[in-house]
Amino acid sequence: MPDDHAYLSIDFLAGMTIFMVAFIWVATMIPGLLISLQGGTIDYDAVAYRTGVILVEDPGMPANPPWENKDDMQKDEIQRFGLALTKDNPNILAPNKIERFFCSTSFNYPDDYQRRVIFGDRPYSFNVSLSTFDAMMNWSVGDVKPDGGYGYIRRLVKIKQPSNATINAPAFRNSGGDGNVTGHVFSVHINCTRLLQDVRNPPYQIDPLRERIVVNITNLMNAYVFTDPTNVITLSKIIIYRQNPSQPLAQVRTFDTSYIDGGNTASSLPVIVNDNASVIFPAGFFYGMANENSHLYINYTFKLNTPDCFFNNSFTSPYDYDYSPIRVTQPLLKEGVVEVAIW
Amino acid sequence: MVNSDGQLFTIEGVAAGLIMLFSAYLVVSATSIYTPGDTHISDMQLEQLGSDALRMMNTPNTTATTGESLLQNITKNNDGVRFKETFLTFCNSTTGGSYDNLQISADLFYRDTLTNSVKQFHFAHSRNLTGGEHAVRVTGWVHLDLTGGGSPLSVAAPGIDPRVQAGLMEVLLWRD
Amino acid sequence: MARLNDDAQWIVLMGFIVSFSLFFLAIVLNQSTVVGQTTAEGVLEFPKNDIRDVRYEVLACSDLSSAVWGEVQKDMTSIAMDRKNAIVTFNITSAPPGSTFKNIFDIHYNNGVTAYNETANY
Repeated sequence: MPDDHAYLSIDFLAGMTIFMVAFIWVATMIPGLLISLQGGTIDYDAVAYRTGVILVEDPGMPANPPWENKDDMQKDEIQRFGLALTKDNPNILAPNKIERFFCSTSFNYPDDYQRRVIFGDRPYSFNVSLSTFDAMMNWSVGDVKPDGGYGYIRRLVKIKQPSNATINAPAFRNSGGDGNVTGHVFSVHINCTRLLQDVRNPPYQIDPLRERIVVNITNLMNAYVFTDPTNVITLSKIIIYRQNPSQPLAQVRTFDTSYIDGGNTASSLPVIVNDNASVIFPAGFFYGMANENSHLYINYTFKLNTPDCFFNNSFTSPYDYDYSPIRVTQPLLKEGVVEVAIW
Repeated sequence: MVNSDGQLFTIEGVAAGLIMLFSAYLVVSATSIYTPGDTHISDMQLEQLGSDALRMMNTPNTTATTGESLLQNITKNNDGVRFKETFLTFCNSTTGGSYDNLQISADLFYRDTLTNSVKQFHFAHSRNLTGGEHAVRVTGWVHLDLTGGGSPLSVAAPGIDPRVQAGLMEVLLWRD
Repeated sequence: MARLNDDAQWIVLMGFIVSFSLFFLAIVLNQSTVVGQTTAEGVLEFPKNDIRDVRYEVLACSDLSSAVWGEVQKDMTSIAMDRKNAIVTFNITSAPPGSTFKNIFDIHYNNGVTAYNETANY
């Protein structure tokens, strides 16, 4: 018959106890082996470095047509942010991309940025900031940095400043008998072929199709010939013409706003001008209406109340927006610093 | 009544316990602890920053002038003070406006065709190296046009040739 | 002879199983710290800035005569070998007539870990 006493000998218990005590002690030493392996915090610096490279050395995706020209409705087509001018010019940043990247009305922190520049499965908090050495530009997006325990990278960059033409009106005063009229036209000529061929290196190139073009006309009040204090200058319209090779000159569109006399908001035309008028053609404005071989003409029409000789180059030649430093302030590179913090 | 039959269990238990303890001791003393605070991360950050600084100094701001970059101009004129100030400004500026605490020591290396050897010329330093600094080395090629031999660098650097040449600017960068 | 009493061998067997699993764990931990490189080490090891710098310097020689860039080539080769422990050589040939670019550059860089070869039309 089987033995079912259900008692254990004391010696068995003694052996089993020694075994169990040793086993439990060894089992408690195991966590000490694994304590040096950490999970989350070890990759903050790596993510910060990667984000720094994506922002500073990559032009973004899509690069052509550029992602910064996509409006808020199309923001899902932007796959990746990048601030570099082109793929071949790392560390040289395009101003349009900077303005678009830091635009808080277009993109929401953190979701839009997480998908397009931070990447990774874990939700990171971050802060990206950019400023120039002369402190003229200072942008930032994201949370405030904590006191410590964040991954960090700092990169040095050069930011391309857009070109602009500042025209001193009295220098282009029209004289002669048939110039004594009320309607005056001043034309600015943008030769896309010459602009894109003469200087091919993107950081120093004036690209009329993709960059901002600014034309400032100053000192209009001294551009009369006969001083008549009652004479009033009106900037009545700005018309843009395009001529493609082997095609006739065609009117493309009108441009209806201008910054008058140092004002902060643009006035719509026609408007009375006292002294100066600035027109800012935003980046990508000419992209749809011209190609690399076009000639563009921006014609300003000024009307005077009483006839006079005035700021007018219709009998001479159009004002060339080109690489001559006398006529156009050339694009300049300005030093800056980018900082990325991830936590 | 009491016999020694169960001594077997005891001895087996003791033996098993000893085996486990001994192997645990071996394992714990053998695995090394990986400290997350290794210096590779800060070295990487410094090296990237220093390379950026040299590259930015070697990019001309405009092609309107001679097309020479700041680094070429400074090197040709042997202007160590300007090099130190410019490089330190580049490396220590932050977006918040505060300044970091990095120091540099720069040397220029060039080839002397007469002796066909690479010579070293100390260019600038912000503080004397004491040997205790943990420094990172960044380098950048400088395209030098020393034809004519009249530039201050041709006078100062021993054995440098009066020709178009490539020199290597080596900068040691460390955090105080 | 009486059979050896081996009733309690299972205790020692349990002991051995625990020890072997400990050794296995130790080997796994050991390999994980040796085989993987940290990201920072990987970044430091890849000569991104060196290669870019060599490219800029070589492409800046595009307007020089062949005697002059030959000397620049010798400069870069000897200085790179001496200071950077890297082999840098390049060759410039004129582009065939009718091309939109001026020269064909063959650039070679090798620092023992990373080798870079490029043929550039510039």
